[in-house]
Amino acid sequence: MTITTEDTGAPGPAAAGPGRPAPWGRIAARASRPLGRRSVGGLIGRPIFWILLILFILVPCASSLLLTISPRLFDQGSQWFTLTYLRQALTGATAIAITNSLWVSASAAALGLVIGFPIAWLANRTTLPGRRFVAGSMWLVLLLPSWLPALGWERIVQADGVMYRLGLDWPWMTHLIMGPFGVVLLLGLRSVPFTYLAITAGLAGLGQEFEDAARVHGAGRAATLRLIWPMLAPAIWSALAIGFAESISDFGVAATLAYNSNFSLATYQLYQAINNFPPSFPAASAIGVLLVAAVAIPLALQARALRGRSYQMLSGRTRQAVRRELTGRGKAAALAGLGLFYVIALGVPGFGAVSASLLGDYGGSFSITLVNYQALFHQADQFGPLERSLAYGFVSASVTVVGGFIAAWLLAQRRQKSSRVLDFMLLAAVALPSVVFGAGYIFAFNLPVESSLGINLYQTATLLVIAYIASSLPTSARVLVGAVSQLQPSLRDAAKTHGAGELMAWARGVLPLVSRPLTMAWLLTFCGVFLELPLSQLLYAPSNPPASVAINDNLSTYHFGIGMAQSVLAVAIALAAVGIVLGGYRLLAPAGWRRIGAASRG
Amino acid sequence: MADSISVDVVCKAFAGGSLALDEVSLSVEPGTFVVLLGPSGSGKTTLLRCLAGIEHVTSGQIAIGGKTVAGGQVHVPPDRRNLSMVFQDYALWPHLRVRENVAFALRRSKLTRTEAQARTLAMLERVGLGALADRYPNELSGGEQQRVALARALVAGTGLILCDEPLSNLDADLRERMRVEISSLVREAGATAVYITHDQAEAFALADQIGVLQKGRLIQFGRPEEVYTRPASPFVARFTGLAGELPVRVTGQAPGPGASGPRASGPGASSPDAALPDSAIEVDVAGPALLRPFRARAGHHLAGADALLLIRPTGVRLSGTHNGDHHLAGVVADVAFRGRGYEHAIDIPGHGRLTGVFAATRAERGETVGLRLEPAGCHVFSATA
Repeated sequence: MTITTEDTGAPGPAAAGPGRPAPWGRIAARASRPLGRRSVGGLIGRPIFWILLILFILVPCASSLLLTISPRLFDQGSQWFTLTYLRQALTGATAIAITNSLWVSASAAALGLVIGFPIAWLANRTTLPGRRFVAGSMWLVLLLPSWLPALGWERIVQADGVMYRLGLDWPWMTHLIMGPFGVVLLLGLRSVPFTYLAITAGLAGLGQEFEDAARVHGAGRAATLRLIWPMLAPAIWSALAIGFAESISDFGVAATLAYNSNFSLATYQLYQAINNFPPSFPAASAIGVLLVAAVAIPLALQARALRGRSYQMLSGRTRQAVRRELTGRGKAAALAGLGLFYVIALGVPGFGAVSASLLGDYGGSFSITLVNYQALFHQADQFGPLERSLAYGFVSASVTVVGGFIAAWLLAQRRQKSSRVLDFMLLAAVALPSVVFGAGYIFAFNLPVESSLGINLYQTATLLVIAYIASSLPTSARVLVGAVSQLQPSLRDAAKTHGAGELMAWARGVLPLVSRPLTMAWLLTFCGVFLELPLSQLLYAPSNPPASVAINDNLSTYHFGIGMAQSVLAVAIALAAVGIVLGGYRLLAPAGWRRIGAASRG
Repeated sequence: MADSISVDVVCKAFAGGSLALDEVSLSVEPGTFVVLLGPSGSGKTTLLRCLAGIEHVTSGQIAIGGKTVAGGQVHVPPDRRNLSMVFQDYALWPHLRVRENVAFALRRSKLTRTEAQARTLAMLERVGLGALADRYPNELSGGEQQRVALARALVAGTGLILCDEPLSNLDADLRERMRVEISSLVREAGATAVYITHDQAEAFALADQIGVLQKGRLIQFGRPEEVYTRPASPFVARFTGLAGELPVRVTGQAPGPGASGPRASGPGASSPDAALPDSAIEVDVAGPALLRPFRARAGHHLAGADALLLIRPTGVRLSGTHNGDHHLAGVVADVAFRGRGYEHAIDIPGHGRLTGVFAATRAERGETVGLRLEPAGCHVFSATA
């Protein structure tokens, strides 16, 4: 029977349905597959992949959370089990920081929704001029690390900042931005792209027929709106949950604007617990546990709000919604609002960064100078970090895309138990704030036992790059899993059946279909790593700082001009990389590859 | 109370200038079940949406129940047209339970909450979903969702029910059962119905009147029998089911059946056909594929013209090749068992293939067979039509 199944490839008599082989058939087919045809990847690759995942994702994640209750496990105390550090984290300065983080994150998520929802609606449901550019610009806001706009704003409004040197003596503005309001504003703006993407997805599924059905069955415009509005509840909750999670795990604003405003946030408190002398790893771990618990709050609220209800509305025949024609006045108001958003989110901090990079560090005048850029190109210790980050970004993105593709491939095999475990592990890693993840790396790779074994990874560029890869892999896998899930095994089989070898079958039958998502995943990782701050700050090799650390060091030592010049150049390099990669893809990829990507995108 | 419908020279152009409806006119008596039939892009959905008030007409006029609802400066919004609709993908609001979805349509009825609830549950019982009233749409099968959509359309007792390809998402077996349910429930409600489909079998099974649309124009509007036996154009004939077509030349004009004299003559001529309408014109045709002249019906005078002989599946049957009463000879290309007999695909050498040729007995693949044509199922059109 086994031989029959293998030879004919036809479903056996116990097939569960047309064309569906019986389980025993599959097992038999696997068992009877010649050993020589099993790829090296199948035999060795999968276990190695899992070992790497466990070593560089699971162990640091678990370490970052376990250390607080079992310091002795990590040689950080005498107790095998204690709740002391968790209790301490709920008192004093840490408690204030956590409380601040909670309300600031909730406010930022709400602000992100208030701004992002109308933008998504205008871009998707109206005839707003220039609506096609909204999606692209949202990606720009998303790709910029949060500390960059924070520093831009800071350099505008802080004492001796651009605002004062332009003759605008507005201390109220300084107080407004350099405080909780400014922190909420910047984190809220940071949440806007997430809200935009979530609401856009919700609106895409909300076909015109739901509105038509309401109108035809007697509902006026207002009643139709009341009926349809709750159908966006999942998207709204999703936007709020992502906005909250992103804000509470943010380190960029916490380490720059918030810190410089003496406004304490939990992520920076965690960093300080590690960075102070003597460091308190258990205390840092306790904050990490509380941060993870906080991330779970909106998810729990979301699950509770949507429990028992169904919002499944996509069908294969969903009718595209009709765009509303905006009146002249409506268009003007919408464009003004959108313009204001871009001015606050990108324009002001961009102006702050560029203008500050063109000013000397001190003085009352607004005289333009290129001295900071000259210093940047003539001092190796100033340009070196940019080169270093460029190399880190290139290596990390290349490795991450390969790993992300493998992970996505495994995730797409949903029936296997291992893929569900992988799914959970990657989701957990996505939810873990970067600063907690970085702390986990310190806890896991700074153990005396490793030194005794001759493994000295801590404070090396290698560990930093590994951390970059491990932290980017979950997101990369998520980006790729959609495209990979759509790959039918028959595509590769068809190529092989028609004479292609294993490698050629992948190259000709599979790669073209995922080339665009792979390119996008590479870019996302590259941009994320190139200007990454929390992992860099915690794990960089001494005397070899990456760009983000060097910029912040310059700013903290009052070298504002050169720090800002580094920022401006870093953003220019990131944008140039995006342009080169996308342009290269457009010019070099075969027409068929581009067509597939474009079709799946549209 | 069923509503009449009057559509008068309605045009609908979309942004970009594409004309979805081109001077469509029709008149529907109250209580009639109208099916609009046509391929994708023919304008049937647009016409339905204009009736619903979801789309504005560009020109022309629509009246429902004698009241103008669209035309000129008038556009009565959908919620004030007092009609209901079954959507292609049902458009059930996913966050409302089944009973809430159905009860929504009663909002115009000004019923008390208790009355509305009772009526909703009664309607759900009527469509066999009383036990599922508290479920959400995604907890129902496709057929059950379809019935909820139908219950929502029927519950308010509106005078006009519109159905936008409501069976297109169902599998074949369920489709047939739901077709019967729709037919009986709508007729029981006594409402006028406008139902669109691209499935000719569904159209003929449901309709009191069929309208065939092509590229935004209403090509033919009439009883199903008329549309089938006297298609207005080759397009209508093809869209409502053909076995195949052959090039012929009209060799003579025969007097109509209303005239005196024999209706058919000569060897192999068809027997008198009671179904042939009085106004039909009969023409004699000959062609390279025809073994002998044949008399068929035509829409208008075609003497001496190159023409097309369009053959319905009912217009051709297998016969032997020995007794000489066949019009065509061909080779069996394929045969399919259909329960009550066999459907054959027959290759006519040099002239293509006839499909759906039914016979009680099976002819084997490769076998040479004779084919006898029946005038009632054969239509002659000008080759340039």
